[in-house]
Amino acid sequence: MSTSELLEKIAFNVIQGRVEAEDDGFDPGLEGRPAVTELVTEALDQNIDPKKILMQSLTESMETVGDKFEKNEYLIPDMLASAECVGVAMDLLAPHLIMAGVKSKGKFVIATVKGDLHDIGKNILAIMLKGAGYDVVDLGTDVSMDRILNAVKEHEATFLGLSALLTTTMREMEDVIQQLKAKGLRDNVKVFIGGAPTSNDFAVQIGADAYCKDAFQALDILKEIKRSP
Amino acid sequence: MIIIGEKINATLNAVKTIILNRDTKSLLDLTQKQAAAGADYIDVNVGTGVGSREDEIQSIIWAVESIQGQITTPLCIDSADPKVIATGLEILNGKPSMINSAKAEKHNLETVVPLVAEHDSFLVALAMDEDGIANTVDGRLRSCEKILDACETYGVAIENVFIDPLVMPISTDINSGLVTLETISAIKKSFPGAKTVTGLSNVSYGLPRRSRLNIAFLHMCIFAGLDAAIVDPLDEELMAAVKTGEVLAGRDRHCRRYMRAFRK
Repeated sequence: MSTSELLEKIAFNVIQGRVEAEDDGFDPGLEGRPAVTELVTEALDQNIDPKKILMQSLTESMETVGDKFEKNEYLIPDMLASAECVGVAMDLLAPHLIMAGVKSKGKFVIATVKGDLHDIGKNILAIMLKGAGYDVVDLGTDVSMDRILNAVKEHEATFLGLSALLTTTMREMEDVIQQLKAKGLRDNVKVFIGGAPTSNDFAVQIGADAYCKDAFQALDILKEIKRSP
Repeated sequence: MIIIGEKINATLNAVKTIILNRDTKSLLDLTQKQAAAGADYIDVNVGTGVGSREDEIQSIIWAVESIQGQITTPLCIDSADPKVIATGLEILNGKPSMINSAKAEKHNLETVVPLVAEHDSFLVALAMDEDGIANTVDGRLRSCEKILDACETYGVAIENVFIDPLVMPISTDINSGLVTLETISAIKKSFPGAKTVTGLSNVSYGLPRRSRLNIAFLHMCIFAGLDAAIVDPLDEELMAAVKTGEVLAGRDRHCRRYMRAFRK
């Protein structure tokens, strides 16, 4: 198989959401054919540039998945299956990317704020960010302000993602931003917020840098930032 | 199966409007329809997310005062704030009631469980603790233990406790349904006398044709030993599924209720 064929096949299987050969895909009848694990291993054996695998097979295919999700063609499990593929592929690629001296696009600290346990969107974003070449520090759910501030400081984070699904917990985001300012950390980090009750207006009101409707929009905004720093 | 009617819930936009406008007529209409459809309890949740804690307290006073006396179906006072629950129960003044909910957090149990004892109420208790919702049966049972210990301490009979094993969407974790089903069985086995209750529709979040899944899941929950369900009693298909599930699980003597509902 040529390099481009192999890269295309990996991308196809990410979109199909197939981790291993035995897995069912979005379309019927794919069981038994090599999937992401087998194909990425083969690509690495063939010494294909890991950065190419990342960009052409993972990042781009997740963009396709994002489009399909926006159009309601893909549902949550479809998207999670694809995100799982990216996670598995990244585990295989990571040591090779480091060896190849590929630098991360930035450190992204991500958390569901205190009092809130909802993490579906946050987890999807964490995987998507990894697949897009960011270094992700996922603090989990119900994370106290102190832990968030410490992580931003310790990791010298470029980005901070805050999630909340409850009207009672979204206020916590404002407190975090205030404390970032108080501690002199605000200017070094861009704050992204998301979660069902939040909105663009809310982001502006509490002084966040961006509101993200979903993980895919977060990636779009990151691309915008890269283009016009 | 004990049916707790879920429709008076401020997270639904139409209900939020009813509460904010103090629309007593619509509130009573929603109550009476659920009672007529077979609800054994009417859940009342007035937490609109608008305004302060005091606003929710004023709303529960309005809602409970408006409803009580108009129907005989008991109310289930639903709030995350124990102060709101206490206020609702004070107005009910000893009338049969249910509290929704407590969870296995020390402070929460110390505040809510005494209210259950004081008002001789029933309690819905969530199988979660300070660390959130465990994704294993054992983890959820540990929360149940803490809840039942507190009930014993404050003199609440185990028979008055409805434990919610909690339901997470299968769309994000394919084992979610199984964990709930196995937790229901384990609660019935480990804590004889304790009852189980659940909302169940969360199981189908994010998937097409949710009512199909909800009905299949309800049947499985009944088989596992579910005692009560927080559902929309106006959903005829679901209410029919309660009857088909119970008769198949041997919980409908001589098929009486099933036949009464479906005999020609």
